Amino acid sequence: MLKTIGSKVWAIPGGHMPLLSSGAEPRDTSRDELCVLNAGHFDAHLQLTIYYEDREPVGPYPLKVVAQRVRHVRFNDLIDPHALPLDTPYAVLVVADHPVVVQFTRRDTSQAANAIATTLAYPG
Amino acid sequence: MKILRTHSADEFINWSGSLRFIPRSQVWPATEQAVCVYVRDAAARGRKIRVAGSGHSSSPIVQTPDILMSMRDHHGLIDYDLHSHRAMVGAGTVLHDLGSILHNVGLGMQNLGDVDTQTIAGVISTGTHGSGRKLQNISATLIGVRAITGNAEVVDWSVEQHPDLINAARVSMGLLGIFTAVRLQLEPTYRLRRREYCARTEDCLAHLDELADAHRNFDFYWYPRRDEVKIRTLNPPEVPPPSLPFARCIKEQEGFSHEIIARERELKFEELEYFLPADAGPECFREVRQRILQRHRKHVGWRVLYRLIARDDAFLSPVHGRDSVAISVHQNASLPYQEYFDDIEFIVRAYDGRPHWGKKHSLRAEQLAALYPRWDDFIKLRRELDPNGVFLPEPMAQLLGEE
Repeated sequence: MLKTIGSKVWAIPGGHMPLLSSGAEPRDTSRDELCVLNAGHFDAHLQLTIYYEDREPVGPYPLKVVAQRVRHVRFNDLIDPHALPLDTPYAVLVVADHPVVVQFTRRDTSQAANAIATTLAYPG
Repeated sequence: MKILRTHSADEFINWSGSLRFIPRSQVWPATEQAVCVYVRDAAARGRKIRVAGSGHSSSPIVQTPDILMSMRDHHGLIDYDLHSHRAMVGAGTVLHDLGSILHNVGLGMQNLGDVDTQTIAGVISTGTHGSGRKLQNISATLIGVRAITGNAEVVDWSVEQHPDLINAARVSMGLLGIFTAVRLQLEPTYRLRRREYCARTEDCLAHLDELADAHRNFDFYWYPRRDEVKIRTLNPPEVPPPSLPFARCIKEQEGFSHEIIARERELKFEELEYFLPADAGPECFREVRQRILQRHRKHVGWRVLYRLIARDDAFLSPVHGRDSVAISVHQNASLPYQEYFDDIEFIVRAYDGRPHWGKKHSLRAEQLAALYPRWDDFIKLRRELDPNGVFLPEPMAQLLGEE
């Protein structure tokens, strides 16, 4: 039987939310998205820290992913402790109290021929 | 008996953290006599007194170089009447406590704002409001007040005997006197059912009138990073939910009014809010939305709030004489807000907007006087009731053009 899957620490160095969007929002809003799988039997409490090129890190951004569930969160929507700027390079460090799997997706609709890219985060 | 207690040289910091000053002393007089002593002493020495409630306002209406007074010891239920649904309570009673106090004797407030951390005198004095096409702001429920004027005179005004004074006192920012107790028009305690929905912005705007008509309380949040809205409604539980085929219900909750209207807000923010004629609300919102999408989305993730308030007659009420829409924009307290607020303020002012007295705005006396038909009447009363300007330190004197 699978006991746990995932890691408690993940890093995403390549954050950058496009400023412009085209198409119907919120479906087609340009965005960076965090996708978290908690396949375990305990609720996972995540703390995100955001790193920038030219300023001090900001965080923690608290997130909860209940047991045996997946949660998708747009970085565009995070406001606690404060909103991330669009069109600005950033990185994310995710620390969880239970193992989770973290995937990162970017949807870029700056042009009508929009693009999507996705990757697993780097597990610590 | 010790009636004067002071706690000197502490810095006052408002809820959001953007208003800071060090008054000469902070005091919390326990009795009316003590308040009178402070007022008399201040008048004799040429000092200025302001009363702070819970410090939720972010405009400098409580700022003073001298005496910052708290009415926290003037707290709780003084009397009530279940026949007329009226009650008198201490001016320093915090709304969250007041809800339970009134409920325990079978009464409830007609409406609340988005939070209930303020004092009752604070929300009355600043024109704080909730949302509902037929609901007035909280100050409209003030039907009597006991206060100490700038002459250190204790006065009792009622809406029956002193209608003009009550209409002046309803949104008076502590300029006419220090409230020690307020009499409120209430309702029998009642329950409400909260329903919240997600919807596309255009769908919400297309149904604004029917949403406003169908729900006791209605407002919506617009999220600039999604161009999507959250519709929030409150209705008596026995009223069946109207059909909203364009929206998806995401929350249902039921309870007594004091448990269900206000929400918890821990994350600190700055806010600019303007009141517009109700008919102008949708067009103004569209312009604000477009401007944020085009110019501010990079740095602004906080929502915009759209609320409805019924007209009243209070001299300085932002909804004086006109059913209104209130549009408020927010920014994290930890991020720059001035450029954003200045830009949005330029838009809402063009719609004959009036600012919330307790939130950020840039208007001064000349501009404000043009917005309020009873401005001169209020100024005249203020001069009569506080001839020495005890309640008029520099920021308020500038605001009123009474330097």
